[in-house]
Amino acid sequence: MITTSGLIETLLWGIANGCIYILLATGLNIIFGVMKLVNFAHGQLLMVGAFVAYEVTKVAGLNPYLSILVAMASVALIGIALEKFAFRRIRGTDKLNEIFISLGLIYVFENVATLLWERNYNIRIPSPLAGLSLSLGEVAIGYDRILAMFVVIVILIGLVLLTKKTKIGLAMKATSQKRDTAMLMGINIGKVYIFTFALGAALAGAAGALYGILFPFNPVIGALPTIKAFAIIILGGLGSIPGAVIGGLLYGIAENTAVYLLGGIWQDAIAFALLIGVLVIRPTGLFGEKGE
Amino acid sequence: MVNKKILGLLVIVIVVVAIAVAVWQMTPAPSAEARNIKMGIVAGMQSVEGQDIERAAKLAIDEINAAGGIWVEEWHTKVKIDFVLVDTLHDGAGETAGPVTKAVTDDKVDILIGGATTGGTLNGQIPAIQNRVPFIIVGASLNLVTRRGSLPSDNPLYINDTEGMSYMFHYCTTISDYSETVTHFLAESVKPKIDAENSFDSSRKLRLAVIHRDDGYGKGVRDVTNSIIAEDSLPIEVVGTAAYAASATTYQSQLISIKEANPDAVYIAGFTADTAEIIKEGINDVGLKSLYIAVEICEDPQFYALLGETGSNQLLESKVATQWQGSTWYLPKVGTYVENYKTKWNGIISGMMGVDTYDAIYIYKNAVEQAKTLNKTNVKNALEATDMPQSLLIMENERITFSTGTNYHEILPKTFVEQLIWDSASGELKPFVVYPDTMPGISSFKQRDFDLPENYEPGSP
Amino acid sequence: MDIKTEFTELFHSRKFQYALLVIAFAAVVPLFMSEYAVGHVFTMMLIFAVYASSWNLLAYSGQGSLGHAAFLGIGGFSSALLAISSGVPPIVGLFIGGLFSAAIGLLIGLACVRLKAWFLGMVTFGFAIIIVAIVTQFDSVFHGVDGFATKTMVPRGLPLYYATLAIAASSIVVIFWVMKSKWGLAFKAIRENESEAKMVGINTGKYKLLAFVISTFFAGLAGGLYAQSQFLIQLDIFKIDNSFMPLIMAVIGGLGTIEGPLIGSIIIVSIEEFMPNIYPFLQPLGALFPGVSNVGPYLMFAGLGLFLILVVIFLPKGITSLLQKAYAYLREDTSKAKKIEET
Repeated sequence: MITTSGLIETLLWGIANGCIYILLATGLNIIFGVMKLVNFAHGQLLMVGAFVAYEVTKVAGLNPYLSILVAMASVALIGIALEKFAFRRIRGTDKLNEIFISLGLIYVFENVATLLWERNYNIRIPSPLAGLSLSLGEVAIGYDRILAMFVVIVILIGLVLLTKKTKIGLAMKATSQKRDTAMLMGINIGKVYIFTFALGAALAGAAGALYGILFPFNPVIGALPTIKAFAIIILGGLGSIPGAVIGGLLYGIAENTAVYLLGGIWQDAIAFALLIGVLVIRPTGLFGEKGE
Repeated sequence: MVNKKILGLLVIVIVVVAIAVAVWQMTPAPSAEARNIKMGIVAGMQSVEGQDIERAAKLAIDEINAAGGIWVEEWHTKVKIDFVLVDTLHDGAGETAGPVTKAVTDDKVDILIGGATTGGTLNGQIPAIQNRVPFIIVGASLNLVTRRGSLPSDNPLYINDTEGMSYMFHYCTTISDYSETVTHFLAESVKPKIDAENSFDSSRKLRLAVIHRDDGYGKGVRDVTNSIIAEDSLPIEVVGTAAYAASATTYQSQLISIKEANPDAVYIAGFTADTAEIIKEGINDVGLKSLYIAVEICEDPQFYALLGETGSNQLLESKVATQWQGSTWYLPKVGTYVENYKTKWNGIISGMMGVDTYDAIYIYKNAVEQAKTLNKTNVKNALEATDMPQSLLIMENERITFSTGTNYHEILPKTFVEQLIWDSASGELKPFVVYPDTMPGISSFKQRDFDLPENYEPGSP
Repeated sequence: MDIKTEFTELFHSRKFQYALLVIAFAAVVPLFMSEYAVGHVFTMMLIFAVYASSWNLLAYSGQGSLGHAAFLGIGGFSSALLAISSGVPPIVGLFIGGLFSAAIGLLIGLACVRLKAWFLGMVTFGFAIIIVAIVTQFDSVFHGVDGFATKTMVPRGLPLYYATLAIAASSIVVIFWVMKSKWGLAFKAIRENESEAKMVGINTGKYKLLAFVISTFFAGLAGGLYAQSQFLIQLDIFKIDNSFMPLIMAVIGGLGTIEGPLIGSIIIVSIEEFMPNIYPFLQPLGALFPGVSNVGPYLMFAGLGLFLILVVIFLPKGITSLLQKAYAYLREDTSKAKKIEET
């Protein structure tokens, strides 16, 4: 049955869910923009973030929203390790190598995660706000979702401040635009790369921690969000944070609406239908920029 | 002259020797051909149901082996059972044919017992059918698993092999059996309560929603529910249905669309993990504070644990109460089984799939004893002729028999409905039978009256 | 060089002799193996060798598809459905399945040729996901959700194996021929530097599309073989693992070579087949991971991922380069030995 209140509720949910994708896409965006690097295992970082947040909340009894910070820090560290031991070594070689390494990482992450936390059933990060919702007439939205949107906004503001006001942020921007010039100007590209990857990973970790509060998760949920994040970047344009935000929201709404109107199967497929559609018309993406 | 005494003695000696020889002939030495039975247990070890099957199988096999094994008349000896695990991972539709093929062609099992999901079993049984290996299916609630020859020939599930199909046996309930129980329960026990609490007119039909897995099993439940309601003229209306992919981890969108249909109750055709998640998401995330009914495959301690307090006053259709609350067991055999399983497996309580498996193994034992050989065709025939007293499942005529005729190789188990009550002292959900009142051989079976959950919201008037 | 000389050279080349050796081996050994080993293990190696080779060909033109399972499945489903519902002989159905897969490949290729490497990866990955949704949505047509039994072109067992061997060997030969031909040179040029290739006058769009069509044809063919040998076909064929496997096999074996995918296929299938025997020995490690009842498969896959990463970093040309080095080393030794003898 399709009703207006159902549609409104779906819309609200879409916006809330879209926020998580925004974080993930932004992380990916930053890494690609600055390092021209493709990491298909980005979604696995989200998964790790969710598990770390879960463990911290469970073991230390921390409020799940504070666990987000711990998740961000841990995943950032993992990101630094990945950059140093895997991606740095194939820099400059065939472009396809990044894809291969990412694939290997996906297998490693998923299986190690399964060993640590089995996957017979899915788990959720328990939130003190679970089951409580705000009623707006016939429509209700959980407090967790509202808080998630708030957290994302805060992080995004922080990000914008970082890129515009700090030295490292400016260095990142310079590197992403003209790498060689940046090098000549004395910017330590190596350091910039490390920081960028860590930042992108931290954002993925945050996305994961939020995901874990809103949705049930298991060691293998990482694959799809990665592709959705890429899809958002294509929709919103590379290197553009506003683009990723709009893309993320649009995507979240599209996904939820598709399921509501067409059925559960289309949940993932809608992303690609959108994506392929857009790319066929404009191979450089909706807000296409140089350097796809 | 012959001494009469010596003659008498001679006669006695001859008679004694004759008897001795006759007796010795009647208990010949065990045949040199005797070998252990290779029992293939088809269990998806990465799923809750599969692990239950494996544990119950080992319990039964160890019990039988401890007593020396199964008597095979042909070899004049008891032979032990070798446990051969046929691991079908999640028992998914694409995961079963390979392991079963290996078991049948490489390990050369004498019998297959197991199979939890419909999709998985429909495929896993194909190598067994082709190789004429008897397969006692303990799960899979579509009766299609025993009669694929009755489909139209251009249906891909059609199998034109009556002889091969005759090796399939189904020791489990079917979707019709338990959907019948669920719908009648809703009409007889739930509707009156809802009508009374909300002052609805009795002509108002109960509003039922069905949320189901998007496969043969789920769609089958949805369809059979509709037909039972029509056939039995029940005062129920199916106001909404929603399907979810087997791979889904969240059901929030489906629940939202069901919520829009304003149901009084939600019938969930899923497995343990997804059903529990649906109930939790329905109540906590989507605000669908309704009455949820789970299918018997969820009769497993993991389901109770996953649900937790959220499942308070929700419903579970079942055919064996492994967590029976009461000072005496409704069926003593069930109590014994549950205790033995607990002892063997460090306190784990068995689920429904384990129960079916345990019984199936003893059914096989009985068939081998009747067939007097391990020869698969003879065993198959003996299985068909099974007539044993009921064991862990309540049967309509209190005996285990496999049907013949159109509804073939099926059993007639009785199913019931439990309500899950939250016990805050122990922090656990406990099941209590709310329907029906009595069972064959059990005069007082119902344990309490059905109650609506706290915070229950019916659908629209 | 004209065809005749090419073939004569080919005939005498080491590679050809090895190929014959491999085929002879593949034909004889199964006679001594169990039904399961032949029907399942060896057949899988052949099927994945073709499938991985098809992926390899596409990668040869610089296009790394991450959703090749879509084509595997399209070929599988179309050939299986044709055989069951239209009574088309399974062997014919096999090739029609391949053609159908190529047709879809053409469509997807048209969308993809203008895309850079990782966009292509995403689109192909996405396509594999959409195909699952479509096949599920139209379950009454495809019957993919519960799956169905497939008809084989020849009886199961050794006959089916030899038929598969014949088709697989010919497919790999054709792919090899393509790679060595003018087209192959164009692919290589495009892969090394697309803009330069354009400048030299190569119609990159046309060649990339060609690679796509040929690759998806063989992927579809492999899919048909897969459906027949596995008893049944089901949605499972589209799983992400099936998209990643040809990639792993080709890379580990040796990207861009003809023997690479075959080596990779043999290695990976062997690992998957024989690892379960090792699981009991890995169980002691299970104590470290109390949540999991059987640690074996996860350790294996994690190890595989690690192996892939190590190969990419340290052995970018794959295992075949190791073999070649070993062979060269041995030759050097024997030629040294000969020299010593002669003096």
